[in-house]
Amino acid sequence: MRIRRSNMAAMGWPDCAKSLKGVILDLCGVLYDSGEGDGVAISGSAAAVKKLKESDLLLRFCTNETQATREKFVGKLQRLGFDISVSEVFPPAPAAIAVLKERGLRPHLLVHDGLLNEFDGVDKTNPNCVIIGDAAENFSYKNLNEAFTVLIGLANPVLFSLGQGRYYKETDGLKLDVGVYMKALEYACDLKAEVIGKPSSTFFQSVLNDMGLQPHEVLMIGDDLVNDVGGAQQCGMKGVQVRTGKYRPSDEKHPTVKADGTVDNLAQAVDMILSQRAH
Amino acid sequence: MQSILIMASLRRGFMLSTCRKASNMVARPDKCALKAVLIDLSGTLHIEDTAVPGAQEALKKLRKASVAVKFVTNTTKESKRSLLERLQRLNFDVQEKEIFTSLSAARSLIEQKNHRPLLLVEDSALEDFNGIDTSQPNAVVIGLAPEHFNYQTLNKAFRMILDGAPLIAIHKARYYKRKDGLALGPGPFVTGLEYATDQKASVVGKPEKTFFIQALSDLGCSPSEAVMIGDDARDDVGGAQNAGMLGILVRSGKYREGDENKISPPPHLTCDSFPDAVEHILQNLL
Repeated sequence: MRIRRSNMAAMGWPDCAKSLKGVILDLCGVLYDSGEGDGVAISGSAAAVKKLKESDLLLRFCTNETQATREKFVGKLQRLGFDISVSEVFPPAPAAIAVLKERGLRPHLLVHDGLLNEFDGVDKTNPNCVIIGDAAENFSYKNLNEAFTVLIGLANPVLFSLGQGRYYKETDGLKLDVGVYMKALEYACDLKAEVIGKPSSTFFQSVLNDMGLQPHEVLMIGDDLVNDVGGAQQCGMKGVQVRTGKYRPSDEKHPTVKADGTVDNLAQAVDMILSQRAH
Repeated sequence: MQSILIMASLRRGFMLSTCRKASNMVARPDKCALKAVLIDLSGTLHIEDTAVPGAQEALKKLRKASVAVKFVTNTTKESKRSLLERLQRLNFDVQEKEIFTSLSAARSLIEQKNHRPLLLVEDSALEDFNGIDTSQPNAVVIGLAPEHFNYQTLNKAFRMILDGAPLIAIHKARYYKRKDGLALGPGPFVTGLEYATDQKASVVGKPEKTFFIQALSDLGCSPSEAVMIGDDARDDVGGAQNAGMLGILVRSGKYREGDENKISPPPHLTCDSFPDAVEHILQNLL
């Protein structure tokens, strides 16, 4: 059934699923919960991903994962039973490296040890900017002070934050995310960071470009109301929140972001999408 | 008429010569006799274990005038007793009751609200909280405590605040001066936790108005009869002026070029160091 473009944009969830051409999935909190070792797959998510791949929808994964290189965390997801490959995954580090090249910048890195290899080919001597990622235990006072010292020593300090999340869920509870430390350094240095990764529109757009689709043809599914859903909506996509991962009931009463739909988990979202399209 | 003009120009010349950087002085709108001087410690009277040159003598001179003196500090790494010991070691004439810290202000708030705090403060500051119940904490208190600003401890504080524990910041200094340069203060970590939890901290130290009012409360004078001397434009001078006092910014400690332009209104005076500030007070404000 052909649907006029103006109608597609106006349709709410789940009806809008009829006119979709692509889906973007967040990883952590949607496919799996991180924690000890590889973490734990969320029930029904592997099957849901498989169903999406068997459908006529284009599928990509958009993540703010910065604790490991693409190869490493895709390997982990494959071990958890997910059918996923590196070329389908869009994390912030490669996008950041492209920005560094474009602007002739050399970074001081405050990132998780597991991410360092992504930056192997990058000139890190005499840094003229700072990049922070989800460094977890590396967010020590000493390391933060080093990053602060680099920034205040620069005439034009530039701070890149790979994402701006407040916290994420691990198997042993909620943990502080990179956004918290971004705010800390912004306050200390009286500057504004540039966010690379969700919810930056530039970041979402790079995924859409790869898919060759327009925003209104794509649905984003994530657990982070502001960075996944809100960010996608800002870009012109529809956004659906899952009640897994870092979801909290208060999200459904958020003052500024209203998800187009809220579902229990990825499995339910995919069933709803496919059943809309079956008619 | 002529004698009045001569007197006026003599007085003006006198004021200009005693104020080395006259262009940095902002006129007081209403002249009240000065009754109290609040003096910052770290960065103003001393830097770690070294006194600011001439500061001891300047303090002696100030005491000879008829003004009350109080030492106010956001230093949260040290108890009142250890602050006093260091000042006495550096030959400053100071008594313990003249010291008012943001720890004192925090303790009052905790007692007032009956909180059981998780105290993220240096071990050396814990003695100022003696007698406070810290079992099963239901509030988070953050001071300058680098050894607690690790990922694990901040996560613990974060989860408590998400569960409803109030966040109390002893102060929100962005950074402080160490021997090896500037280092992060508690402010960035408090800001980070506010962002993480979508809660606002209650701040008890400088530059909060209540801190200055509390510091003056037992001196029997109003803010308009008091002046603050410090090295932090926002926290010392801005905070004091916002409370109705005059502020003198000194170019020692954590001062950085151009700090005087970061607050509005600008400092009443910006001068090189504490002895210059005292000279200005003795010559112009009494």
